[in-house]
Amino acid sequence: MKKFIRRNLAGYTFLLPWLIGFFALSVGPILSSFYLSFTDYDAVRAPQWVGLENYEYMVQYDRRFWKALQVTFTFVLISVPAKLIFALAVAMILDKGVRAIGWYRALFYLPSILGGSIAVAVLWRQLFDNDGLVNTLLGVVGVEGPNWLSDPRYSLTTLIVLAMWQFGSPMLIFLAGLRAIPQELYEAAEIDAAGKVRQFFAITLPLLAPVIFFNLVLQMIEAFKSFSGAFVISGGKGAPLDSLLFFTVYLYNEAFSFFRMGYASALAWVLLLIIAVFTVIAFWSSKYWVHYENERN
Amino acid sequence: MSKLNRRTFLGAAGSVAALSALGRSAWAQDRRIRHFWWGNPERDKRTFAVIKLFNGKNPGIVVEGETLGFNDYFTKLTTQIAGGNMPDVIQNGYGNMLEYINKGTLKPLDEAVAAGKIDLSKIDESGIAAGTFDGKFYGLTIGANAMATLYNKRIWEKAGIDVDPITWTYDDLKSVAVKISELGGPKGTDDLSADWAGLSTYCGQRGFLNMYTEDGQFAFGADIVADYWKLWADMRDAGATPSAEDTAAVAGIADLDKMGVVTGKSAISYAYSNQIVGTQALMEDKLGAGMRPHLSGGQPGQSIAPSQFICLSRDSTDDDAALAYMNAFVNDPEMTAVLGLERGIPQQSDVRAALEPNLSEIEAVSVAYFDAIQPHVAPLAPAAPAGVREVEEAFETRSSVAVLLGQMSIEDAAQQFVDEASAILRRAQ
Repeated sequence: MKKFIRRNLAGYTFLLPWLIGFFALSVGPILSSFYLSFTDYDAVRAPQWVGLENYEYMVQYDRRFWKALQVTFTFVLISVPAKLIFALAVAMILDKGVRAIGWYRALFYLPSILGGSIAVAVLWRQLFDNDGLVNTLLGVVGVEGPNWLSDPRYSLTTLIVLAMWQFGSPMLIFLAGLRAIPQELYEAAEIDAAGKVRQFFAITLPLLAPVIFFNLVLQMIEAFKSFSGAFVISGGKGAPLDSLLFFTVYLYNEAFSFFRMGYASALAWVLLLIIAVFTVIAFWSSKYWVHYENERN
Repeated sequence: MSKLNRRTFLGAAGSVAALSALGRSAWAQDRRIRHFWWGNPERDKRTFAVIKLFNGKNPGIVVEGETLGFNDYFTKLTTQIAGGNMPDVIQNGYGNMLEYINKGTLKPLDEAVAAGKIDLSKIDESGIAAGTFDGKFYGLTIGANAMATLYNKRIWEKAGIDVDPITWTYDDLKSVAVKISELGGPKGTDDLSADWAGLSTYCGQRGFLNMYTEDGQFAFGADIVADYWKLWADMRDAGATPSAEDTAAVAGIADLDKMGVVTGKSAISYAYSNQIVGTQALMEDKLGAGMRPHLSGGQPGQSIAPSQFICLSRDSTDDDAALAYMNAFVNDPEMTAVLGLERGIPQQSDVRAALEPNLSEIEAVSVAYFDAIQPHVAPLAPAAPAGVREVEEAFETRSSVAVLLGQMSIEDAAQQFVDEASAILRRAQ
């Protein structure tokens, strides 16, 4: 033990800033939010232990909780596949040897870097505003566009499009995956007279499965946690008519608009649980559709 | 090398320590007070100027100002309350006071008044009453406020309107607005379907000046809410307002620059009297001010309320210094002259008199408005119970929008809203 300490002391000393940050700013708050989720806490008076009351209220009485779940699931189930398909399509085009590919890669990646930022959400708001750029352009071709952001029928769609637009990081990963597929396979397929479509389904997709799986899990978690776009575009409240009431937006409102910190903590743990369940499902399903090159069956 | 480094390091550390020790002793006599308010650029400019004045006149006390926008203000205040480091002097609105008193975050001022540290002699009786909760005095009013109707004078005259906007009724508003719409330019009036203040006024007019029962529930029923929405649906159908979709798009947004009278979508908008000056700054046409329309055969629905209070926080470490500052904030003639009308009409008779000769044109409009409404207002209703802010949001951003977009019938939406409000209010008690 002594030897272990002596040998590793320097290492841990260098790790110390990170360790302090990790325990004080991550583990500590996570544990205390778990405790707070069983309390009634308004951030002013001391927390009151209420047992499972927060969770019971959520499931039994809170209609906005269910609405938030519905909005979030819709968003995840549509935006994640759409974004992945789009990213794969762009990656395949770039993979076909476009000139100045480095520029395109950087260009397409740009929205992903900006994506989480408030500025982009504000820009989106301007674009899809009632008399924003999108409706102006539609007007040029004689179409009267709807109120994209203030009509609950369309508001979520604009957010899904915003999410799709941030396809850069899965695209880069797809691109790397595509590059790793041996060209001989395509050549052999061509000799056997397999068409492009057949090649895609028989070679590209199966060999890309590990990369698709990786992207799927990552993007799914990201989508469940998605906050800033919905927060800015919905004016922080999930408006119009709660159609943008993402789970995270609801959580934020409960915590920082109405100061139900205990209830908000319970919501956070439910979200964690949901993400965990979906990730487990993804991993479980992966053994049926994801195969690795070096696998021996 | 390493020795040298260590020596240099120690030397540097030593001088830092010496410097900070010096720093401390230099400030040792100063008593520091933090004043935190929500504001806008104009208010911040004036308040910082007042702080500078006070610091100049009171060597030994250093007031530091902190400011944020309305929503962020309360978020930050709450985290400060949780952390036990609230500023000494904070700003509160009439609607928020009770919540903060109930949470024990404010110190009552009665002893300070009795000891002569706070001078209330120049403050209107109504201002003192408004700052008193459960028999204890908590807040020094820094301006009175009332709801107002703001209309575009140029369009008003062009349409040849000769209705008195102080005593007018909803029927008058309808005919005025239709007349303006018929000019072909902006619509007559903003649609107040999604305005909580509009519903509050209407409740008062229907006899529910105090909208809440003693146990913090609605005193009125779904029928009042339905009638209110029908009133505005009727205006909308008559062509008096912008489309329901346009109204839904700005539901729950209180920014002055989204009001129809500013955007040019309509000629009549609704705000508070202390926003008249700020709104005029956003437009070229001249603004006129009137009351919210009356209900023919109804009762007065509007009241005069303090727009803001300054309060002594629970976490104040130097009450005497804070009280001296608060007292000067409302009584010092130089300081109140700088503050002017920006926070509302001052509720100190001498301050009002001192300001009167130097008013700008639009300030004069708001003062004249204030004088004109005195005979037509109802007494101030008791402060709203906890949870009302959430009810207000449900009304403005959900129930009303569902009605405007035709997703629910007025009766169903009214019933659903009243049920939801009842659940929110019960949970907040």
